[in-house]
Amino acid sequence: MRKVLVLFFLGLAQAGFAQQGVTGQVHQLEARGEIAEARTLLENALKQNPNDTGTAAAYAAFLDSHGDAAARAAYSKLVTLESDRSRKQAAARRLVELDLLAGDRTAANRNLQAFRDAGGAGLALGESSASTPGARPTTIVEIPGPLRSFARMAALSPDLSPDDVLGALARNVVTNGYQAASSSEALDQTEYLKLVVKYLSQARELAKLAGESKAIKVETCESTQTGDLLRILGYRMRGGCGSEVVLETVNASRAFLTIDSGFPLAELEQALRSSRPFTYDYAATKVPVLYTPDYWVGPKDKQQGDFIDAFLGDPSLCRLYLALSKLDPISAEELKKALPVQRIKAFSHVLDFFGGMLQLKDGKMPVPGGQRSVAAWAELAGAQPDQGALFIEKLISRDDGWLASYYDSLARITGPSLDYLTEPNRMKRFYNALRGRVTSPGPARPVFRANTELMLLTTRMRVDPDGKPHLPGGVEMWKNLFVHHPHGKYDGKLTKAASGWKDADDVIEALFGLCRKAVENEPLKIYMALTDLNRRRPKPLETATADRLAREFRTYGSQYAIFAEVPSLSDKTILQYLEVAASVLQIRDQALRANTAGTLQSLVGLWQIFHRQGSIPADDADGTLSALLTSFAKVKNHRELFDLGRSGVELVLKATGAPTNVNPHDRLLDLLAGTATPGDPDAHRQLVQDMIRIYELQRLPSLKLLFDVSDHLDAIAKGEKMNPALVNRLATRISEIQVPRAAMTTVEKNSMAFGYWTEKHIDQQRKLNIRSQVEKAGADPEKLKDIRSHLAPMLRDALLGLNYVHYAPPGAQILQTNPIFVRSHDFLGLQGASQTWKNTEVFGTGWPSSAGGRLVGSLSSLPYALAEAEQNFLIPSREQALIWGDLVPQMIVMAKVPRWWNVTPSQLQWVGLHMRAGESLLAQAAIDASIRKPVLDSLDRRAVPNRVRRIESLLAASDVRGALEQTTPSELFLLAADLAGPGKQGAGVLGQEIQRVAAAQPEKVNYTAISRAFGTPKPTLAHSYYPELLNLRTFPTLMGYSSRIMAESWESNLLYYAALAAELQVSPSQLNVLIPEWTQKTVERIFATHLEDWPALLRSLRTVGADARRQARGGSEAKTLE
Amino acid sequence: MRKLFIASTVASVLAGTAWLFAQESARPTFRVKVDMVVLNFQVTDNKGRYINGLKHSDFKITEDGILQKMNTFAEGNRAPSLIAEDGTAKPMVINPEEREKGVNADAFVGTNVFVLFDTSNYMYRGFVYASDAIADFIRGLDRADSVAVYTFSRNLSRASSLLKDHSEAIVGLRKAVAGDDAALYNALLLTLRDAAKVPGRKVVIVFSNGPDNASMVAPDDVRTVAEDEGIPIYVISTNDAAKDPVSTSVFKRISTRTGGQVYFAKTWQKQVEAFESIRESLGNSYTITYYPQPNPNEGFRKISVEMLTDVGKKYRLRYRPGYRPQSGF
Repeated sequence: MRKVLVLFFLGLAQAGFAQQGVTGQVHQLEARGEIAEARTLLENALKQNPNDTGTAAAYAAFLDSHGDAAARAAYSKLVTLESDRSRKQAAARRLVELDLLAGDRTAANRNLQAFRDAGGAGLALGESSASTPGARPTTIVEIPGPLRSFARMAALSPDLSPDDVLGALARNVVTNGYQAASSSEALDQTEYLKLVVKYLSQARELAKLAGESKAIKVETCESTQTGDLLRILGYRMRGGCGSEVVLETVNASRAFLTIDSGFPLAELEQALRSSRPFTYDYAATKVPVLYTPDYWVGPKDKQQGDFIDAFLGDPSLCRLYLALSKLDPISAEELKKALPVQRIKAFSHVLDFFGGMLQLKDGKMPVPGGQRSVAAWAELAGAQPDQGALFIEKLISRDDGWLASYYDSLARITGPSLDYLTEPNRMKRFYNALRGRVTSPGPARPVFRANTELMLLTTRMRVDPDGKPHLPGGVEMWKNLFVHHPHGKYDGKLTKAASGWKDADDVIEALFGLCRKAVENEPLKIYMALTDLNRRRPKPLETATADRLAREFRTYGSQYAIFAEVPSLSDKTILQYLEVAASVLQIRDQALRANTAGTLQSLVGLWQIFHRQGSIPADDADGTLSALLTSFAKVKNHRELFDLGRSGVELVLKATGAPTNVNPHDRLLDLLAGTATPGDPDAHRQLVQDMIRIYELQRLPSLKLLFDVSDHLDAIAKGEKMNPALVNRLATRISEIQVPRAAMTTVEKNSMAFGYWTEKHIDQQRKLNIRSQVEKAGADPEKLKDIRSHLAPMLRDALLGLNYVHYAPPGAQILQTNPIFVRSHDFLGLQGASQTWKNTEVFGTGWPSSAGGRLVGSLSSLPYALAEAEQNFLIPSREQALIWGDLVPQMIVMAKVPRWWNVTPSQLQWVGLHMRAGESLLAQAAIDASIRKPVLDSLDRRAVPNRVRRIESLLAASDVRGALEQTTPSELFLLAADLAGPGKQGAGVLGQEIQRVAAAQPEKVNYTAISRAFGTPKPTLAHSYYPELLNLRTFPTLMGYSSRIMAESWESNLLYYAALAAELQVSPSQLNVLIPEWTQKTVERIFATHLEDWPALLRSLRTVGADARRQARGGSEAKTLE
Repeated sequence: MRKLFIASTVASVLAGTAWLFAQESARPTFRVKVDMVVLNFQVTDNKGRYINGLKHSDFKITEDGILQKMNTFAEGNRAPSLIAEDGTAKPMVINPEEREKGVNADAFVGTNVFVLFDTSNYMYRGFVYASDAIADFIRGLDRADSVAVYTFSRNLSRASSLLKDHSEAIVGLRKAVAGDDAALYNALLLTLRDAAKVPGRKVVIVFSNGPDNASMVAPDDVRTVAEDEGIPIYVISTNDAAKDPVSTSVFKRISTRTGGQVYFAKTWQKQVEAFESIRESLGNSYTITYYPQPNPNEGFRKISVEMLTDVGKKYRLRYRPGYRPQSGF
């Protein structure tokens, strides 16, 4: 089969040779992003030579590589024209793939025949997935009433397929269905589950009313069925039958179920009013249950009702169902055969959380580390991996989940870290450290997986080229840290053992030991932060620097993300940063401390943004920050602070190459929008205007105004007359600061939480009367200069405001509504809990405890905090939606932190080609069994076994669209990279195009450059806002982080948007406007069932893509009509 | 003259007066803009009975003491009249240009009613009765009124967008899902933002138990938006005023300062009465529009409505106290 593909490429190459001039021009246009022009060129060439197969092939390949829907017609024409059998075969084959991608099986069959007619062989369309390894035996059970109603009551996504209903329900029952009873050890149903149970009872009554016809029918208002129906629904008629009839509640609990389950009450009322018959289909919902109901429900439970009743009534059964439905189907089947259900049930919590990576092959368990580690695993588990189900049983039952979680963590990683960690002796040693002496409670006991630190350690640890783990600062530093710990003992035993540590293994062992602790695992956090800090540095941190960072972690740890993002920072500057940070904390005057911290952090924030965007060259970053810090080393008073702030602005601007006489405010806004020299002025202007709008709504004075007033004070000191117009401009701005708190009652004010210094900060500005100050100062030059001290708090706010507007989330409702939001930023925090250098946090929610909303702490995590504060303003587009608390802020962060001014059209094209190549590889695997294995092997590296088996099953049935629904955009991208990237031969014409683009612009289109262009910031996972692709398996939810780390490991959004932009022929600079818009829409359309329901996110992403395509088509159609 | 009036009425974006912000930048485009001001008010006698049948010439409007020239005048849900230079009133006509843009005279007849229904956990017990009361209210609205039903808990949900078809609004209402935290002021803000986009007279009716445990904006910041947009907020609280002093004082503040009213209605019957009172208030309102005369005040502008007749001086007038001019490019 490969031969046919090669011949097709040769054919295209020959055609390209014949049309070399055109082809060359097309490639040049593509590189400039002028896709429409390139298409026209090829269309014209084809019009001139309509029967030329070379031109037709080039045209079809062009459309194909740009995801143009017309590609199918072009290939179809090519199949008709082409006389060369091998080329005809290749075109027909590609057509079959495109047919399957379009979900057109009829056409696929027809074109497959054309392929065979041209002498092709080896391809077949699969018929059914039932006999494939991924298929699970199921039996149908019924749930009373329509699925829509049940889904509403059970808080399930309305988009769930029936196949997924029971699994999702099981999860909801496990997490939300039961609570500890106050009086005994038993579990009580929660209000959520009570309502579901009550709903089922009502649904049964309605089903009975519907009878054999399975439809609720009310002929007229007067019919007896009306009364029966209304009684079940909990309503009655008010007013006689006719146009005046109104339905009103008579039984509140029944009526609640009626409304909450979405019964069409308003339609019923309308029908009664207009004397029309009312009909509502009330067939039971048929859902597949894994295996048979008998497997799950014993004879005793069966007597108590339907399967669904027994299911809802037993949380341990739901946990078991959940566990087995997440397990690889072959492993589940083996386990089911080998063990009685009660035995599996006893460990279903472990299997649920840590069984996802288990995958039996030919009855044996392939373990992390491979053959080398088999004996070690056998020793740890107490059974040989070759013993299949027995090994699984031992693994999950050994120690309340520690060994299973260890296996799960190691099974998720690859490369040198895996090699290091699975060296047999080391593996056993680390396991023992992790497990400890007392194993209970295990990591599967809480509601979330309690192996967060373990997963982070194994995923993020770095192994140096010598095969040893990277240990920032070296062994001695770590020994020292554990022995002479800065804040009290981390762990008594480890402190004792530390003096004997000899190499990195000893330290890593200690870190594994700390993984089991829910608290006091600071060394582990230090290790991961410093490892990430060193990750991109050309030279690792010196021992003294690492030691200082480790010791100061508790106070300044959140600032390390800044160091990690700028790898060119010298050790000296990093240490200088800590010195200056410490000196700020020593300022006794609280107002001066807050203003100094605010001014310095805002300037550092600007420096960080400009470095990220390339406005400050990497080589100048260190010098600029160092100079900035030097000036802030010892701030004595506000007058000096103002001067330092101003010189800081000049310093940062100079580093960006700004001319000296530039308006600093305008220039900073230009740079914050991404660049001072935009290639696309319209997009740039839009971003700048958005920022100005918010800045103005915050009533902040511009930097230019503050600097002009300052200069004017100097001039007055030299004898110049006061310029009332200038002073009035500032006075006007100050007078616009409104504090609505004046209207509040005492009760409200008393209920509001802290904020004394923030209030004072704002009040002082409001009370300022510059004119009077000038008059008081008279002709005294020193007193006149001192007036600058009053400008310092305003300069802090202005600089802070520039940081806020840069990261303002889409919509920015808080910034548009609360005019003192920026000014309310609290750099001190609660008394006794100095938060000056801690993470940015959203303070409180709800009135009046939120005091109107504010952010507290440093600016180190400002993008996330702003997104977190704003997330609840996004409006779900349907009545029921679970918007994840930790996922949405990260989605906003990934849309707001990166900018795409430096992205080239060819980079967009490259991502688009990869995405389509990934899709094509799936399509190829659906008709060609020889390609299926490498495709599944690639997916195995990123997806959990259960999903890969499901994809396998769908591919075997040639259900390409079904398989695509199960595959994330980042998996498609990596699938193409594995099989069609540079140096590979997969994906046919698309692979060939990838090779060509890579060869044409190697410095722009390589995986490192694409990682920078379309990667996402990962402040938790990588301790940095530097955008990059880590290509990790999507994480599950984890204790302490909920879905935040899962969100950071989700890298599909930007890749998807990039491919969409390529397909829609959008210029890269437009991404700066479109990605925040698309992100907002994506969030608003997520209809998820639970926190790990990323398929719901994927569905939403694709819906937004479909809308954008529709809109673009509408636009182009309108254009054509014009 | 007519063309100018209609274009500005409909678009409501024309800057009557504009001052350059004191931001001496190379981008001097961000300005204070004073759009047409829409002012709703009710007139009652000393027994609280609505006074109808008054004419535009019975009133005098001032803003910061500066006499304003009325642009249109309307009573209840009737179509507004255009007030000419000589003080005569003529029926309002939409020019063809605006009609092409989808705007019709209907947009200025009736009231755009936004019902904001609290479906959070706090409303769990009274949810169905509240739903009935709101449905009754919608049924009783004037045909000329448009109605939207929004629900909220942690997020806002647009159960039914603004429509003349009241039955659609009831369908949306009956699809509400109960549960979750309450972000009342976030939701109120978003509702006001939607309402502000609609031409014509509009009101927001909040139906809530009161407590807010999820908002990120303060009620007074939200109230400011309503004041500036000229949107009265009516609140029906299903809680006892005495039991929740915080919500009580906030509700009083945001309703009176925007020209609306607050009702504490714990029982279904009281809720029905409250809705009846709101409906009556809407039907007995006067609506005046005007373009403010030049005014250097870029902050809060105090509005005053006075009756010119001797009889009228005994009446009570209820209206919003003022607004802040908006800014934009």
